[in-house]
Amino acid sequence: MNWDLLPQQLVIGIQLGAVYALIALGYTMVYGVLRFINFAHGDVYMVGAYLAYYTSMQWFDRNSMNPYVLLFVMLIISMVGCAILGLSVERLAYRPLRTAPKIAVLITAIGVSLFIEYGGKFFFKTSPKPSISQDVNVFSKPINIGGITLDGSQLTVLGVTLVLMAGLWFFVTHTKTGRAMRAVSHDFGAASLMGINVNRVVAITFGIGSALAGAGGMMNATAIGTPLDPFYGLVPGVKAFVAAVLGGIGNIPGAVVGGLIMGVMETLIVWLGYGGYKDAVAFVLLIVILLIKPSGLFGSTVEKV
Amino acid sequence: MKKSLLLSALAVCMIGFAGCTPKGSDSGSTSNSSGGSELVGRETPDAEGNKVEGDTIKIGLIASLNGEQQPWGKDSENGAKLAVEEINAAGGINGKKIELIIEDTGSKAEGGKSATEKLVGEDKVVAVLGEVASGITLPAAQVCQENAVPLIAVGATRIDVTQQGGSTFRVCYTDDFQGAAMAKYAYEDLKLKKMAVLTDRKLPYSTGLSEVFVKAFKSLGGEIVAEENYESGNIDFKAQLANIKAKNPDGLFCSGYFTEVGPIARQRQSLGLNVPMLGGDGWDSKDLLDSGGEGIVGGYFANHYHISEDRQEVKDFVDNYKKKFGTDAGTAMAALTYDAAKVCFEALKNDPELTSKSLISAISKIKDFKGVSGNITIGPDGNAQKPALVLKVEKTGFVPVKQIPFFEFKG
Repeated sequence: MNWDLLPQQLVIGIQLGAVYALIALGYTMVYGVLRFINFAHGDVYMVGAYLAYYTSMQWFDRNSMNPYVLLFVMLIISMVGCAILGLSVERLAYRPLRTAPKIAVLITAIGVSLFIEYGGKFFFKTSPKPSISQDVNVFSKPINIGGITLDGSQLTVLGVTLVLMAGLWFFVTHTKTGRAMRAVSHDFGAASLMGINVNRVVAITFGIGSALAGAGGMMNATAIGTPLDPFYGLVPGVKAFVAAVLGGIGNIPGAVVGGLIMGVMETLIVWLGYGGYKDAVAFVLLIVILLIKPSGLFGSTVEKV
Repeated sequence: MKKSLLLSALAVCMIGFAGCTPKGSDSGSTSNSSGGSELVGRETPDAEGNKVEGDTIKIGLIASLNGEQQPWGKDSENGAKLAVEEINAAGGINGKKIELIIEDTGSKAEGGKSATEKLVGEDKVVAVLGEVASGITLPAAQVCQENAVPLIAVGATRIDVTQQGGSTFRVCYTDDFQGAAMAKYAYEDLKLKKMAVLTDRKLPYSTGLSEVFVKAFKSLGGEIVAEENYESGNIDFKAQLANIKAKNPDGLFCSGYFTEVGPIARQRQSLGLNVPMLGGDGWDSKDLLDSGGEGIVGGYFANHYHISEDRQEVKDFVDNYKKKFGTDAGTAMAALTYDAAKVCFEALKNDPELTSKSLISAISKIKDFKGVSGNITIGPDGNAQKPALVLKVEKTGFVPVKQIPFFEFKG
């Protein structure tokens, strides 16, 4: 154990956790209003990454364009594209099942997930796996602050994530639609009796959650250059789901804290010298939290997840 | 009727056989790195085998024409087609034409098995070429051994591929040599004294290659200061890289596939770990340049050959390939398959009996065959003792820097 390395590893963990938190928000918001896990959420994240790839590598000429503008355009296209995808999934797959048993919706969610993955396989083609070129990322220079080396792009990811989360917090607590969302989350039936257009609120929830996942996909793919494939969202999706459960599913600040804990835990396991077990952290964490505190850190009621 | 019954019985036997082998072969891949001084698994097959009938010699190729490894399958298919076209244009072998039958493996191990069964059982080929991936070659090798048909593997570097029986050969080097060669290059040419090793724990290719590299580098007098792991599919490697950076290595050996090496290279740079990166033939893809960005530039990896080499075989191959297919000969897999086919033809020329069984011994006698990917001499262990070519990663592509002649490393 190298204690001098701990601050560096914590910083890496927080950067990693920020993206998990961004995806976890989508899980938790949807659960909040509809009480079901949208298993297709990780695949929305994948589509966000692909949209960023097509925007930067094919649709726009990255050599003649201002790189900051290009990054912004990528972010907007990913978010808007994913929001549209989320809205259509909700409208076509979940809304017709509003009164159906929960298990039917859950199975549909798995079906939607497979549909997006294999649809992606059809449209994006799997080989060779593309990745976003480094010259798209203008923030990639390392910065050294007091012995901790940071990558500018990771700082940017952290910054954008914080801005998006602050925006979400403001939206949920200070706007009329946000209040309606909280009301629906509190009691679906009563909210609808009080004249709230529940379908509209649910649609907005899906749109926002998917847009956040799209932003996460765009930022991660651009910052670290992983080759993309249609199953790109599977593992981050599962990890973000665990993060949402850890924080208390349905609880928005809980998802953020859960995501950060997840990122830091993963980094610390590597710091301890068990790099190959990084992916196992999520599942061990899920088992432990379900055994000890099934409601999660901030969850108020015990829900069956 | 009787024949088909027998065949299906045989198929059932083989399913049972294949079902229990992977375990053994898996442990072999990681533990056996002795360099082939003793001959493991080179039994002579018992079956009668196929024989050439009529005026055509049937040869099979198994390749991943679909699935994730499709680019390698495509290169492989082109290489084989080119070789067959050339030999037939030159009059065939002793007056007999070559007929190439291509079967798709779908990038899956099961596909490798069924494709080989079809080629051997239905088409009655006298030799099978392929595959690129070790995992797909293993079941194919078992089918070939059962039926006494020679298999010439193309890019399968896992050590236990040629330990499936005496009928399996390969035209590429093994991971035993590749790892030792890179250790030698790191220590003697790049003068790196302290290395860090980053391994893909999920990939037998990577664990085996790392193991050999560590042993070889230590035996040269070098020091391994850090050994870290990840799993293919991971996307963030900064925690491992931070651990490695704290140990101040002179270089970083990454034995995984380019899919992860690219992001590792980029993240290494973002952490300020400015040391050269080294690796094996799993790096061979242009995609590495995009995913690795500036981080991968200046890295070195072992490969089989390079299209810019100044040998007549390479020049002819590159020209003819371009003429026929309109593109540059992509990965080393095109050349390796071309060589595998050529080795097969050479053996057929020296084999008057023209049966699959006599072909096995003819292939094992191949010496100093001038292939595109280098001189091929089939050793008693079925492996080609070939040099490795170290390539340097530049911004626009890969440039050859040094050829390392074959040597035997005993770990």
